[in-house]
Amino acid sequence: MARVYNWQIGREMPYWYPEHRPKRQFAAVFDTNKCIACQTCTLACKTTWTSGKGQEYMLWNNVETKPYGFYPLAWDLNLLEKLGAQNWEGERYSGRTIFEAAQPGERVLGWRPEDIDYANPNVGEDDCVNGVEKGAHFSGVHKSWFFYLARICNHCTYPACLASCPRGSIYKRPEDGIVLIDQGRCRGYQECVKGCPYKKTFYNTMTGTSEKCIACFPKIELGMQPQCFVNCIGKIRFAGWISKPENARADNPIDFLVHVKKVALPLFPQFGLEPNVYYIPPVNVPREFLLQMFGPNVDAAIETYQNAPRDKDLSGLLTLFGSTESMVSKWKRVEEQVMGYDEGGREIIRVPLREPTHIRQAFDAARGVARTNIS
Amino acid sequence: MNVRSLAVVATVVSAAFVGCTKTEPPLSDSEVKAVFEKTLPSTVEDRIWERVPLHPAKLLLQDMVEPRLTQGSTSFVRVQSVTDGQKIAFRLSWSDSTLDDLPGPGRFGDAVALQMPAATTADVPAPQMGEQERPVEITYWSAIFQAVANGRKDDIHAIYPRAKVDHYPFEAASLKPGSAAQQEMAKRYAPARSLENPMAGPRTNPVQDLLAEGPGTIRPAEKSLSNGGGKYSQGGWSVLLVRPLPNGAQPGGRTQVAFAVWEGSHQEVGSRKMRTAWIPLSLGSAK
Ligand code: SF4
Ligand code: SF4
Repeated sequence: MARVYNWQIGREMPYWYPEHRPKRQFAAVFDTNKCIACQTCTLACKTTWTSGKGQEYMLWNNVETKPYGFYPLAWDLNLLEKLGAQNWEGERYSGRTIFEAAQPGERVLGWRPEDIDYANPNVGEDDCVNGVEKGAHFSGVHKSWFFYLARICNHCTYPACLASCPRGSIYKRPEDGIVLIDQGRCRGYQECVKGCPYKKTFYNTMTGTSEKCIACFPKIELGMQPQCFVNCIGKIRFAGWISKPENARADNPIDFLVHVKKVALPLFPQFGLEPNVYYIPPVNVPREFLLQMFGPNVDAAIETYQNAPRDKDLSGLLTLFGSTESMVSKWKRVEEQVMGYDEGGREIIRVPLREPTHIRQAFDAARGVARTNIS
Repeated sequence: MNVRSLAVVATVVSAAFVGCTKTEPPLSDSEVKAVFEKTLPSTVEDRIWERVPLHPAKLLLQDMVEPRLTQGSTSFVRVQSVTDGQKIAFRLSWSDSTLDDLPGPGRFGDAVALQMPAATTADVPAPQMGEQERPVEITYWSAIFQAVANGRKDDIHAIYPRAKVDHYPFEAASLKPGSAAQQEMAKRYAPARSLENPMAGPRTNPVQDLLAEGPGTIRPAEKSLSNGGGKYSQGGWSVLLVRPLPNGAQPGGRTQVAFAVWEGSHQEVGSRKMRTAWIPLSLGSAK
């Protein structure tokens, strides 16, 4: 195994192949606070890519209610339990990654879901922790909680799927870091299914090969965001390119959110894959739970997020979410307006920091009638 | 008449007396002896096999490259072989208490393969799938392929009979079933089929011809020349594999052969397998 540097865990770690970062890395930010679990993203993906025979059970994009929802069943719990204690010393992870915890004869620490584990993709939907007692009401503090976690393949910098494949059938594209399974080469050993801790590769029973999220690469190649991003009702998603922390540029939207503001965090960074989907953590969830899920910077991220109304840059950039089908490479705020630019520097979107609002009086004096919501 | 031909006469006579009851084939401990026959057997039940020497090949764990098999399963594969000077047939049988021929997430099929050096030379390439520029030829049979070749439908309902599927876009009313446009549409949702990946079917032959130059390098051979078939009965598999003699292998000559067995219920697949080292193979001739 080679030694590679993983900035999300603040240290070097062993990986099956030497460090070889792509020219640029596809990345995304999901704001969990805005997701309504409408599953429009899930369906957008399903109808675009997985309507074939053998793909019936596959959801390359899924949205689960945490903490009781999973697809496949217990995908995270199974691995967390196998991995044992996961301690951080500041921003340095001192526990074991799945590469360090691999059992003898294995390439990574993994487990194999069975078909039945995929059978209830919406298990735990809207189940909340602590229940809701009769007479319960909201008084500023959430006593019960759940949140929605939208998940796609993380197009990891150190993919476990790729490391697990004994045939080298999985590759990471040098031009954009998208991780793909070569459908001409795969022999269906399902090692990637066992190895991916996020369980985002799937075995296709009818083609005898494993398949996975392709980040809608034909759209990315045309400068557009993937289907699950542009169809998102909650406008929680933003796709772009991420730099290494030392190369972060404040005018790159993803860099700004991940490296400058540190408001978006990787999912289970302790697994060691350097996943490239970053989450703005939910504000209403106990911190211990979020700490395990998103790493040690959760408190700071939530504080930054809750300060967004007073931070015009941050709230400005958040208004670009879901505002355009194009990939936004650069952005800028000038006073009350936020602009997004494509790779060539052309302006592709301009949004006001606040949409103009007009408040009408509840009573229409001219006509002598009370207004309702629809009048 | 020497002792060996006496023994053959004795076997033939006893077979004649016993009539149709099965006789145990003679044992060949040190090598696989491919007996010369003008016509190759076409099934695992052919009476020829009753007199073809049987080599019990001991299987070892594949514990050289990750992912490895760390717990043993199948311990022996019984090997018999016949050649007609052009082709070589193997009958491979092993005990297996479970028939595994359904694919699925976390579910694997029983399988067997034989491997021969692509070139017949005095020194053989590494037994673990050959080495760079010294390829090995692999003949691979799988119970999953066999079930499809036997007529299992190319449809999810053949695997999950109670599956409920709302709609496939390639079964839209506007597309005439079997038309070029309809097939083109179906392939869009089966990229492995579009790329003609031999794993993706549909298939009529349960056997694949493969080449390898070391672990992880298996690729389909340029031409598919082998065939065969397997049957499960009485707690075990018997599989017939028929392939051309490898380059340079002559009747009366010698080469080497190796085997691998995958036990589906033990989650054996790819490099997680039981395998042999090279075993000497002597090729009989017409005399
Ligand atoms: S999330 Fe899983 S499938 Fe996607 S790149 Fe990472 S390891 Fe591979
Ligand atoms: S479309 Fe957006 S809001 Fe709806 S479930 Fe998906 S991520 Fe959440």
